[in-house]
Amino acid sequence: MDFLLSPSLMLSPSLMISLPALGRGLVYTLELAAVCLVASLLLGLVFGVMRYAGGRMLHALAIAYVEVFRNTPVLVQILWFFFALPILVNFEISAFIAAALGLSLNSGAFSAEIFRAGMQAVPKGQWEAANALGMSRARVMFRIVLPQAVRNMIPAFTNRWIELFKLTSLASVIAYPELVYSAQQISNSYFNPVEVFTLVAAIFIAIVIPASYLLRRLEARLRRSAP
Amino acid sequence: MHYQWDFSVISDNAGLLFWGLGNTLLLTLIAILIGTPLGLAVALLRLSSHRWLSWPATVYVEVFRATPALVQLYWLYFALPRLTGLRLGGFEAAAIALSILSSAFLSEVFRGGIAAIGKGQWDAARGIGLSYPRMLRTIILPQAVRRMLPVFLERYIELLKTSTIAATVSFGDLLFVAQDISYRTYRTLEIFSAIAVMFFLVILLCSQLTRLIEHRLARSGEFTAR
Repeated sequence: MDFLLSPSLMLSPSLMISLPALGRGLVYTLELAAVCLVASLLLGLVFGVMRYAGGRMLHALAIAYVEVFRNTPVLVQILWFFFALPILVNFEISAFIAAALGLSLNSGAFSAEIFRAGMQAVPKGQWEAANALGMSRARVMFRIVLPQAVRNMIPAFTNRWIELFKLTSLASVIAYPELVYSAQQISNSYFNPVEVFTLVAAIFIAIVIPASYLLRRLEARLRRSAP
Repeated sequence: MHYQWDFSVISDNAGLLFWGLGNTLLLTLIAILIGTPLGLAVALLRLSSHRWLSWPATVYVEVFRATPALVQLYWLYFALPRLTGLRLGGFEAAAIALSILSSAFLSEVFRGGIAAIGKGQWDAARGIGLSYPRMLRTIILPQAVRRMLPVFLERYIELLKTSTIAATVSFGDLLFVAQDISYRTYRTLEIFSAIAVMFFLVILLCSQLTRLIEHRLARSGEFTAR
C-alpha cells in the first residue's frame, strides 16, 4: 500500500490505478440499471393496464401515479426516498434502495404511458372478435391485445431504457458507488478528473451506442415479421 | 414513532424557496435560448451534403446524447479547469452543459422536422430564386417548426427537470435551496415534499400549456394530435 501513498504516484494522472475501482463502479451501474429496468417494466405494465382497462378507481389511481412521477424531477424523487422517506417509515433506506425506488417509479410512470398508448393502438375489432369467441377479459388482454401492442411499443421502450441507463448516474448524488461516484472518489484521491471523467463518458458511449444500434435492429426485425 | 409534522419551516423560508425556483427557471430559460439555435445549427450541418460538415455534427449529437447529463456537467466543472485553467462556476457549468445537451436532442427534432418537408417545397423555393438562408427562413422552417412545436415543448419540460443536477455543483436552484434549509432545520421531510409539490405544479402547468398549444395547432390543421 505504501507505494500508493507516495506523492509522485498520487499526483501522477495514472489511470491504471483507477481502473479496478471504475470497473467495480460499472458493475454497480449495471446492477442498478437491470433492477430498475425490470421493476419499471412491471410497474408500467400494471399501471398501463389499470389505466387502459381498469374500473374508475383503478383508472384514477393509475393517472395519479403517472402524473406525480412524470411531473417531478427524478433527482428530487431519489433524494426524497433517501432523506425524507426514512423519517416516515422509521427505518434506514440504503442508497441502492432509494435510487432503485426513484428510478423505477419514475421510469415506470413513463412505461405505463407507453403500454397504454400501445394498447390503444390495437383496433377495437380485436376485442369484439375475442369476445365473440367467448374469451375472458384477462385472456383477451394477455393473449390478444398485449402481444400485438408490444410490437408497436419497442421503439419507445428503446429510448426509455437508454434514458434509464443514463439516469442511473444520478444515484451518485446519494453516494451509491456506481460509475460516476467512483469517478468522483478517484479524482478526489488522485487529482485526475480529466482522465477519469473522460473515461466514464467513454464507457457510457461504448455501452449506449452499440445498445441502441442492437435495439434498433431488433425493432426492424420485428417490424418485418409483423403480419 | 409518531412524527410531528411542522410546516412552519416552509412558510418561514418561502422567500428562499421562491428565489430557488426563480434560479431553476432562469437556468432552464438560458439553456433553451442557447440550446435551440445551437440545435438548429447542428441540424443544418448534419443535413449538409459536405461530409466534413455533417460528420462532426453527427459525432457531436451521438456523443452528447449517449452520455448522462451529470457526467457532462462534472466534466465541465471538474475536468475542464484542470485541462484549460478556466474555472467555471456552478451556474456557468450547468448552463453550458444543459445548453449542449438540449442542442443535441433538439437538433434531432429539427432534422426530423426539416426532413419531413416535401421535396417540392425546396424545389419551388429554389425555382423562384430564393437564397438558402431565405429559403430556410421563409419556407422551410416556419412549416417545420409548427409541426415540431409539441416535441420542442416536451423537451423543454424535460430540460426543466434535468436542470436539478445544477444543485450538485452548488448552484442555488430550488433543489439546492431545499438541501440547505433541511441541513439547517432538520425538517427534511417537509422541505423535500414541498419542493416536490412546487416542481409538480410548475411542470403540470407547463404540460397543460403544451397540450393547449397542441390542440390549437391540431384545430388549425397544421398538426395532427397524437
